[in-house]
Amino acid sequence: MTPAGQPVLQVLALTKRYGDLEAVAGIDFEVAAGEIFALIGPNGAGKTTTLRMVATILKPTSGEILANGCDAVADPDRMRQQISYLPEEAGAYKNLKAIDYLRFVADIFFEDRERAARAVAVGREVSGLGDRLDDKLGSYSKGMTRKLLLARTVMTEPALAILDEPTSGLDVINAIELRERIKQMARDGMSVLLSSHNMLEIEYLSDRVAMIAAGRIHATGTPAELKERYSAENLEQVFAQVARDGKEVVR
Amino acid sequence: MRRFLVLLKKELGELINLQTLLPFAVVVLMFMGLGQTLSSVNAEADASVVVAVADRDGGVLAGVVTAALEQAGLEPVAVTSTIDDSTAADILDEAGADIAVEIPEGFSAALAAGEQQHVESWARVRNFSIVGNQDIAALGTALEVVNSTVAAAIGAEAAPDVPPVMLQRPVITSEHVMVGDNTAEASASAVMGFVSQQTMFIPIVLFLVIVFAAQMIATAVATEKENKTLETLLSYPVSRTSIVTSKMVAAGLVALLAAGAYMFGMSEYMNGIESSFSGGPGSEAALQASDAVMRQLGLTFSTSDYLMLGLTLFASILTALAIAIILGAFAENVKSVGTLIMPLMVLLLIPYFLTMFLDLSVLPDAARYAVLAIPFTYPFITGPNLFLGNYGIVWWGIGYQLVWFAIFVTMAARVFSSDRILTMKLSWGRKKK
Ligand SMILES: Nc1ncnc2c1ncn2[C@@H]1O[C@H](COP(=O)(O)OP(=O)(O)OP(=O)(O)O)[C@@H](O)[C@H]1O
Ligand SMILES: [Mg+2]
Repeated sequence: MTPAGQPVLQVLALTKRYGDLEAVAGIDFEVAAGEIFALIGPNGAGKTTTLRMVATILKPTSGEILANGCDAVADPDRMRQQISYLPEEAGAYKNLKAIDYLRFVADIFFEDRERAARAVAVGREVSGLGDRLDDKLGSYSKGMTRKLLLARTVMTEPALAILDEPTSGLDVINAIELRERIKQMARDGMSVLLSSHNMLEIEYLSDRVAMIAAGRIHATGTPAELKERYSAENLEQVFAQVARDGKEVVR
Repeated sequence: MRRFLVLLKKELGELINLQTLLPFAVVVLMFMGLGQTLSSVNAEADASVVVAVADRDGGVLAGVVTAALEQAGLEPVAVTSTIDDSTAADILDEAGADIAVEIPEGFSAALAAGEQQHVESWARVRNFSIVGNQDIAALGTALEVVNSTVAAAIGAEAAPDVPPVMLQRPVITSEHVMVGDNTAEASASAVMGFVSQQTMFIPIVLFLVIVFAAQMIATAVATEKENKTLETLLSYPVSRTSIVTSKMVAAGLVALLAAGAYMFGMSEYMNGIESSFSGGPGSEAALQASDAVMRQLGLTFSTSDYLMLGLTLFASILTALAIAIILGAFAENVKSVGTLIMPLMVLLLIPYFLTMFLDLSVLPDAARYAVLAIPFTYPFITGPNLFLGNYGIVWWGIGYQLVWFAIFVTMAARVFSSDRILTMKLSWGRKKK
């Protein structure tokens, strides 16, 4: 069920070495417009490394990353215009008020004041933090910070949102709300590349899933296709099987 | 441009908060307070200095001695007991003095008979500061006055035709001092003292400001790492050069502000010292006279001199910032900044101490070139070179530092554009490449 048209993101033969360790060992995938694409796999599989390369934070050892026809490695500045990235471990400037943080990011993304103001309005709404937005970020709980950062990531309505374990640390209600929101924004055209350890979340959110282990993609498909291929009842069983395969590959 | 300003505003906001400004405000206030205290010491010092005088002679010339002490600005208090090392302390306590003079028996008669006489004095040292020991300085001057006054008194008897001043001070010296092409009538040692007093605080300010700037920017980078904001910052649609330069400009601006404030605090302090050295309106005139001499010798900073000093400092701050931002990239957290910045501190301390204690030209060639290769040598030698009119070396210093700045800032931009900014740590064991 690959959607038609030019993909928003194309990753080709991507590798990344840290010294002797090949963290990403040649992976290929595509994310179509409005598609939510998830990377799942065991700890240390190379998910964060992949997302960081797509987010232009790390330089690939080899391979290509193309977004809307622009080369992320050769022209990272243009790539950054199209993406918005939520790192796995992220913080915020503690002595800023939450609302001022949203304003700061909006001003960074948009030269136009009105466009920036619109982004702040979206961020304000998505965060659901209400009056607490006037508080300093130093006084925020972990979950509140995560919520704000997630709102910050999607508020610029990027062509591609890169979310590394987006809802980790959030309570069930908040997580559900935010997933709903992400899904809706994808329907409006935003592509999403995410990684998660929450199989429920993956099943609910993703249009397609890539199972990654030891730096390689072992299977790609819709959650339904994967369950069928591995004759599993849910994604967790698929995950467990792929993780075992991955170990065999390493050996 | 707007994006750069947004970043700059954010960086300034991070730098200007209570934590960074407090220690800095304390230093400035401390210097100002110190200046105030010193000038009020002056008021106290004006209260006359009491000297205990044990006159065991009682003759005419002994009277001349006491009068001379009074003339020299001391307040003689007569004591009756004999002063020796064991009784001196008690006698001083009793008289409420810290200095004492004893005129021996037969003083007047022996002098009249043409025999040199001893006058013994005791001075109690209470502390070792410059301002705190004015009693002792006063005693030294007073004893000289005693000698010339007594000489005049004896001379008036022996050779009534000779005017007393001839006996007191037959040779009048008038000293000339030359600095570069300029000559003025003044004592060379007084000029040296004045210059070193006036310029003493310049290297201290330079040192403090450069260290302050370096620390600020390294901490700014380390904070981004510690608070996990760096990764997000690096994914924003702004060039890495803007990220590096916004941090540098913000730290540079705050450092220049600090330089101005330190200069102000220091000059208040120097004014305090000056007014504590000079007492009364007479010395005010002396101060003005010495100002005139300094101008004549070219030993005052003109506006263009200040501008060149400022340019040199600016170049040093830029170089320090470029080095420090790279050092900060190695930091994993704010705590490690202090250690990481050590190499930079050493580069600053070497020229700071060397120029404080000696003239670089006395160093052997190899050592001198080594010191001159350090970019941070130039701010410390700029002051003296401006005084001596060596503008060539000042311009060279500014240019030389800017070359280093260009090299380091390019390196910094490289570090921030590569993986290294995220993966670089000070663990040589797991070296990557
Ligand atoms: N800066 C680094 N230097 C050296 N090795 C690294 C570095 N970052 C990651 N690695 C290694 O690369 C591999 C992949 O790490 P990565 O963070 O991409 O995993 P992940 O799939 O995100 O795992 P998790 O589910 O735990 O987040 C791991 O073996 C890790 O040890
Ligand atoms: Mg990860």
